[in-house]
Amino acid sequence: MNAILGRVLVLAALLVSTGGAVIGFAAGRTRSQEGLKWAQRFAFAFAFLMIAATAVMEYALLTHDFSVSYVAHVGSLATPTWVTVASLWSSLEGSILFWGCVLGIYVAIATWLTRHDYHEYMPDAIGVWLACAAFFSFLIAGPANPFLSVAAAPDGPGPNPLLQNHILMVIHPPFLYLGYVGMTIPFGFACAALIKGRLGHALLKPMRESLMLPWVFLTIAIMLGGWWAYEVLGWGGYWAWDPVENASLLPWLTATAALHSMVVLERRGVLKGWTVTLIQATFLLTILGTFMTRSGVFNSVHSFTQSAIGPTILAFLAAALIFSIALLAMRIDLLEAEGNFEGAVSREGMFLFNNLMFVILTFTVLIGTTFPLLVEAVKGKQMSVGRPYFDSMVVPVGAVLLFLLGVGPALPWGRATKEKIRRALLPPIAGAVVLLAAGYAFGVRNPWTLLTLAFGGYAAQVTLSQMWMPLVKRLRGGDSFSKAFFDGQLGRGRRRFASYIVHAGAVVVFIAIAISSTMRYTQEVHFAKGQTVNVGAYSLTLLNVFDRPEPNRVATVAQIAVAKNGVQKAVLEPRMNQYLGMREPIGTPDVYSTIGGDFYLSVMNIDPAGQSVAVNAIITPFVGWIWIAVVVMGLGGLMALIPVRPVATAFKPVPADAKQYGKEVVAG
Amino acid sequence: MNRTVLLVGVFIAAALVVVLFFGLGKDPQAIDSPLIGRPAPNFALREVGTGRTISLDEFKGRPVVLNFWATWCGPCWEEHPTLVANARAMQPGVQFLGVVFQDNEDKIQKFLRDRGHAYPTVVDDAGKTAIAYGVGGVPETFFLDKTGKVVAKYTGPLDTGLLQANLQKAVQQ
Repeated sequence: MNAILGRVLVLAALLVSTGGAVIGFAAGRTRSQEGLKWAQRFAFAFAFLMIAATAVMEYALLTHDFSVSYVAHVGSLATPTWVTVASLWSSLEGSILFWGCVLGIYVAIATWLTRHDYHEYMPDAIGVWLACAAFFSFLIAGPANPFLSVAAAPDGPGPNPLLQNHILMVIHPPFLYLGYVGMTIPFGFACAALIKGRLGHALLKPMRESLMLPWVFLTIAIMLGGWWAYEVLGWGGYWAWDPVENASLLPWLTATAALHSMVVLERRGVLKGWTVTLIQATFLLTILGTFMTRSGVFNSVHSFTQSAIGPTILAFLAAALIFSIALLAMRIDLLEAEGNFEGAVSREGMFLFNNLMFVILTFTVLIGTTFPLLVEAVKGKQMSVGRPYFDSMVVPVGAVLLFLLGVGPALPWGRATKEKIRRALLPPIAGAVVLLAAGYAFGVRNPWTLLTLAFGGYAAQVTLSQMWMPLVKRLRGGDSFSKAFFDGQLGRGRRRFASYIVHAGAVVVFIAIAISSTMRYTQEVHFAKGQTVNVGAYSLTLLNVFDRPEPNRVATVAQIAVAKNGVQKAVLEPRMNQYLGMREPIGTPDVYSTIGGDFYLSVMNIDPAGQSVAVNAIITPFVGWIWIAVVVMGLGGLMALIPVRPVATAFKPVPADAKQYGKEVVAG
Repeated sequence: MNRTVLLVGVFIAAALVVVLFFGLGKDPQAIDSPLIGRPAPNFALREVGTGRTISLDEFKGRPVVLNFWATWCGPCWEEHPTLVANARAMQPGVQFLGVVFQDNEDKIQKFLRDRGHAYPTVVDDAGKTAIAYGVGGVPETFFLDKTGKVVAKYTGPLDTGLLQANLQKAVQQ
């Protein structure tokens, strides 16, 4: 019953999205208002059908309806309810259905918020969204159908054990999908602008906001993935340049570049074609990322083993590439600049450098990720591109970006006198010197880390002064603090203030990555029950070693007391989990976190009979700051999204032919 | 029409799609072993049940299917019936040999009693043989020709089709 209902809903979604896409593009050609109305209705219908299909699947999972193929594949009577809910995205078919559901939600919200506005662009934008929707509906209806009817078994095997190993594995995928799928919306706006051959000022707002929201989700998702790797995989790191980690980073890089180029576009009316290209690239890279995770081409902790849908996704990627490139080549020259650049040593000049760096990073990571495939295709040899390549390429570019993070916002817009530039650039050197000296005093000697501290100190001072300068000015002007703060920082200047919150988070991330990756201390410890061993300032005592049988696994646990200066701080329980159905046991580390750094224990060898263990003890200063600072970045991004004025007036209809450059003054 | 955009775009897109396309059919699990084409490292290990020492050299003159496994490994349970059935059909023309590591002998004996056995199983106590063969996880299966040279390796559980296809390479030589 559930299987049939699900299939019907998905087929209807396929029909509706295909029809809606055709209607949208047709309405775009004929500029038919009636056509736009119908395209909107089809968009809402698609969203409804997809959400309903997903609800049916969740219902089937929760009621253990093993006559639905996906439930038979991942369900189990023994799994706890929270795992059952999350098993929607634990395996290939369900995750694509979840993708469709998220796309439905995005399309519905975007269509609703723009229902009165941007009539010139909306038919084509909805057309593009629904064309993507049609592809994913096709995937769900055909190659990755989770709703096949099967003979009902009494019980199933349960989801991938890795999903059950840590709560982060349950929340990381939804964030990633919210980030990935959301990039479809700005892609639709960008394509619509190209189809119309015009990118008016009015369209920048929905474009920016629809890019910012998924950017926030993607930022958090990347961090959650790294945090999960750190908490679960046991090698003490959070990033390994695994192909699928790279897949999530690639669209993030181009999206970040686009968010910056859009600021220049908004202020100066230039970089239109470039911004549109970055937005298209972002979407295409999310599809590439989907291909990487779902095709089985790349070997990774993330790989889904079945590879039947690989060719279908590749075909879609190729079609989307052809569409985007053809559109760009035909229309990019029509997106005329409405302003011009003035001087390289200016705010906009630094934005341009910033974009250049992000594009270099994108190509560096893309080439490193796909190079093994190229070598195998050409020479038939297997090889892998590892850390040294990525580190040596990415670290210098990262340093330049951090430098720009300080210098860019310090410089004024437009042409400025030498004196003005000097006055802008000199004071933050104080911040650089302070942080550099502090780092040196605390024993930092790695030249890259010292450089990061210097650039970071500079950027920190610039960021903080840019954040609070407007407030200080208003206070001097006689405003009360509350008026100045709520009006300035949270009111008209809120987007500017929010963007500096993101920058502040980014500065901390840079510094925390530099310190945590260059100042790690690792020591292997072998000891028997009752013995105590010193590791740095800590001393470890092995209390006990025992087996703990659990329903889905057997855990062999080492209980270790961690003390510092004779005071016990924590009892850590690193362990080995042996899941049925896995080729290797999974070591699960345990971590004692403090503000200054983490003390991390992971089991290398464990012997319950001999009551002895070998553990890897890793002291990593500052690593926890990465997770905190990334959350701050995400919150800053969200803050930029809150409408300045009440929604009703913010979405006032804009005449389709209005040329708006220079008329709207951007806050800040 | 902007030709620069078109050319650059087509170049990047074509390169990417072609590379990904060639990646498609490949199995990321099928990791080349540097041992392929080389003589298989010899070993002399204790047989489960009898305690007799078996060395790989004894089997020269016929192809060998060398299967690394362990009782704690789910996929090894999965492929065990395949191995037993094929061994029964093909021995003594083809020699099957199991190597167990990171395990204990009681569990292995119980496993073989419960699930059937058709060929000798040896215990790699110190894990040295697994290291010599570069075994990363279980199951992993090596296919040796009659001169004792490694001709193929498979990572993950075998089914009859995969087993026959790999063994074919060993028989042909």
